[in-house]
Amino acid sequence: MTAAVHLTTTRTATKEPVMTDILTSAPRPVARSIGVSAVPLVGLEIRKSLSTRSGKAVALAAAALAPAATAMLSSSGDELDAAKGPIGALGMVTALVLFPLGVLATAGEWSHRTAQTTFLLVPNRTRVVLAKALAVAVMGAVLAALAGAASAAVLSVAPIGNPTWDGVAQALAVSVAAGAAFAVVGAGVGAALGNTPAALTSLYLTVLGAMPALRLVRPEVAERLDPANAVLQLAIGNGTTGHVLTLVGWVVVTTAAGVVLTRRRPVS
Amino acid sequence: MITVSGLTKEYGERTVVDDVSFTLEPGTVTGFLGQNGAGKTTTMRMMTGLVPATAGTALVDGRRYTDLPNPGAVVGALLDASAVHPGRTGRTHLRLLASAVGVGASRVDEVLDLVGLADAGRRRVGGYSLGMRQRLGIAGALLADPPVLVFDEPANGLDPEGIRWMRDLLRSHAARGGTVLLSSHLLGEVEHTVDRLLVIGAGRIVADGPVASLLGRDGTTVRALDPAPLARDLSAAGLPVELGSEGALVVPGAEPSRVFAVAAAGGHVLTELRADERGLEDLFFQLTTAS
Repeated sequence: MTAAVHLTTTRTATKEPVMTDILTSAPRPVARSIGVSAVPLVGLEIRKSLSTRSGKAVALAAAALAPAATAMLSSSGDELDAAKGPIGALGMVTALVLFPLGVLATAGEWSHRTAQTTFLLVPNRTRVVLAKALAVAVMGAVLAALAGAASAAVLSVAPIGNPTWDGVAQALAVSVAAGAAFAVVGAGVGAALGNTPAALTSLYLTVLGAMPALRLVRPEVAERLDPANAVLQLAIGNGTTGHVLTLVGWVVVTTAAGVVLTRRRPVS
Repeated sequence: MITVSGLTKEYGERTVVDDVSFTLEPGTVTGFLGQNGAGKTTTMRMMTGLVPATAGTALVDGRRYTDLPNPGAVVGALLDASAVHPGRTGRTHLRLLASAVGVGASRVDEVLDLVGLADAGRRRVGGYSLGMRQRLGIAGALLADPPVLVFDEPANGLDPEGIRWMRDLLRSHAARGGTVLLSSHLLGEVEHTVDRLLVIGAGRIVADGPVASLLGRDGTTVRALDPAPLARDLSAAGLPVELGSEGALVVPGAEPSRVFAVAAAGGHVLTELRADERGLEDLFFQLTTAS
């Protein structure tokens, strides 16, 4: 016996037909018999992220900050030797701005208690966290690509002399990858902590505070752990496999932590 | 059918839900009553997989909620009306839910109209009153017209017209063969809505049965032209007699027919004879205070 059968067997008149008329007279809406599949779930998470003012603001900031900064720097009149330098550096800045995109996608669900609705409809929390990670990776990559392309366009018309454009393609590619990676790291840390302010504070203190401090006392350790430095080195062509592994490590560890802690956390 | 067996939740040394078992049948509205902290919400959250159970199972048509392929199409749950992003509009919120559960966008407008939020659908939820949020939560639960509804305090914030509407909604859902579990602290409302009561106290089920049988008759009140001799005869017949208001005699636990038989045998002239019925409030406090 399925309860669905019951719904189609008897439909009786209601005491107050005015407000329940639709419920009793309309046919049952066709709902999927299976859960939402992976690609639509990722699309749904993208729509969620861009359906709030905070999500839109972060996306706009990520796309606009680097070209705006490029325009300001270009107006100084200084000549540039190579375009890959500012494109790589500002790509890293864009990636840092994309931390909140990931954090809001995961920790925001707990802060606004919408995790309840999300997990009522998709109880497999691993699927949800991974879908969010993929969604912010796509958004991060697209926004970083837009920011990088806009920055390059600004540089191409700015009065900065005649810099070489060698290595710009690599710098742009690294910026796109960094945008995706940093957004995923934000999602992982947000999922792990379940608290938006705590996740953002932890991330920025670690990347912008602890890593530079560590570089002063243990530079060899900082070289292996610092994701911002890894992005910079890769963008300007000085990167190594170690730098790639640093970024991959951040993505894997934070995502794993996010999955594990989200699965364990009761929804209150 | 929902079958809950031995559901238990412990937080450290504290047991907040203790070996709770019950069955919810299609075609019924079951009221879930208990004082604050009695374990109602935790039980509902364990049933829907939001809170892991320490022990026990909750099955929907033989499957755990988390194993249902598309749970939103089977169980419509409203557990917290505030669990909505305040920056989204009501319509956007429902459209996101509709995508997750797999119903068309046109259904969003249908349920918005059904709950009376057609005009407010384009406004941000942050500007909604509690009653409007409850209606939005109910709309979300009804998106797939699921056979099972699990509502935790849905009447909070609703005005009298809204409460009446919700009562009709739940009754009509049960009349169509649906299963409803309704938690509420509005005892009068529950009494007029549900077929069956589950009462939980200190984490344990202390009553489970049809409303009529749980409320039942609790005794008889009788008035006579000369009450003193009647009281003596009733006592002599083994019926305990208490003095009620304005000369009435209250005979706890006795059916009116038994009291009438004693009065007739003694030739007493009666001016009133009626069964005393226990109110839900009396039952609730009797059961939950004892636990």
